Amino acid sequence: MSHSTDVTGGHGDAEHEQHGSIGTYLAVFVALCILTGASFFTYSSYWPFSDHVAWAFMMAISCTKAMLVILFFMHLKYEANWKYVLTVPATFMSLFLVLMLVPDVGLRMRRASEERLRYMAVPQVTDAPADQHSSEQPDGH
Amino acid sequence: MSEEHHGHLQLQYQPALPMSNGKTFMWLFLSTEIMFFAALIGTYIVLRFGAPVWPTPHQVHLSEPIGAFNTFVLILSSVTIVLTLEAARANRAGLAKLFMLVTLGLGTIFLLVKAYEYNAKFSHGIYPQKPRSLIYERPTLPFASAVRQRLAEITGELALEDSRSEEEEEHLKVATILLAHATQVERTAAQSADNPAGILALSQMAEMITPLGYGAGGAHGSQPKVAGEGLAEVLAGADHGLNDKYHWLKLPMVIPGGNMWASTYFLLTGFHALHVVVGLIVFAIMLGMRLDKSRAPHIENIGLYWHFVDLVWIFLFPLLYLF
Repeated sequence: MSHSTDVTGGHGDAEHEQHGSIGTYLAVFVALCILTGASFFTYSSYWPFSDHVAWAFMMAISCTKAMLVILFFMHLKYEANWKYVLTVPATFMSLFLVLMLVPDVGLRMRRASEERLRYMAVPQVTDAPADQHSSEQPDGH
Repeated sequence: MSEEHHGHLQLQYQPALPMSNGKTFMWLFLSTEIMFFAALIGTYIVLRFGAPVWPTPHQVHLSEPIGAFNTFVLILSSVTIVLTLEAARANRAGLAKLFMLVTLGLGTIFLLVKAYEYNAKFSHGIYPQKPRSLIYERPTLPFASAVRQRLAEITGELALEDSRSEEEEEHLKVATILLAHATQVERTAAQSADNPAGILALSQMAEMITPLGYGAGGAHGSQPKVAGEGLAEVLAGADHGLNDKYHWLKLPMVIPGGNMWASTYFLLTGFHALHVVVGLIVFAIMLGMRLDKSRAPHIENIGLYWHFVDLVWIFLFPLLYLF
């Protein structure tokens, strides 16, 4: 980078072009807004699928948005291969961290003691937890 | 550098990475930040899905449209900071400064909205920890005692005053009626905490203070059959609970899973807001400089940081507001 600034202006323009133009940024911005709207749509009552589908959908959208920001706004699309040195280990670390917590903390209710289940705040809802629109709620039990 | 000298060994400096040291270290810093937030978000995911019960956004006064608005604000600020960089690279210092000012403004809007949201939680007694937090996990005997104690505190304070205003007289009247009811509930629960009468009395009181809004069936709890003197009058119009109708009451309330929710919510959004504050401070400092071509590398670095802050919010918004 510091090298190329020393070179002639013509080359600088070519490099500038490579970093994405205003048009690219605006296109990414519009895409991000649409994607935000799409994940917000899962919250509306028009969402036709279950909560679990909504969660997967929202996570997919979040990852897409993250990729857009990283690739275009943070210019990672145009960087050399060093980018993998930083991003791949960090990604693996974060995934492993979640996966390591899952058996210990995440699945604790799978084998919860009977006492714990009895004294739970509200009876456990097996299907759709915490959905205020649904009419079959804990009272039904 | 300038002339070729045959016979001399020509050494050329070749950096290990094809970029400036500042950018290298910004990326290294960001990779540690990725792991920091991944730890927080990962813990949240595991805790949230391992929890037996989690409050609905409605119960903890979360507003999804406000969250979506904040997402939009941050995305927009990401665009303006990248436009700042482009303007600086094109050596248009004035335009760069304008875009950076807009970015600073958008970041401030984000923080103001966040402050408004925090304030909404605080005013409903939702804090990350006791003693300020009014959240109880279950309607139990300790909960009934806490309600009775709070009412006794209110009535005690008001009764001691020599001259009460009309408003205070009204408060005293309401609190006295509720105190009588709460004492009754606590007595019923203490005598039969494990049988239906005690459980019913406790749940009804919890629903009276903050209805959980679990469909139509749950709302019956807010119309208790326990007839206390003047109780019906006090309860009239309190469809959203006593704490909502009488803000000054600040009674302990039952939100199942509410404490874990509050801990994770305030930790995640708090750390994110701190990062926003740091970004805004750097923007404010840079606004005092001339943002021409020579500043472009610095703008690029703070831009990378700002995009990362945006990135974290992209994950936080659906996880906290929509899940």
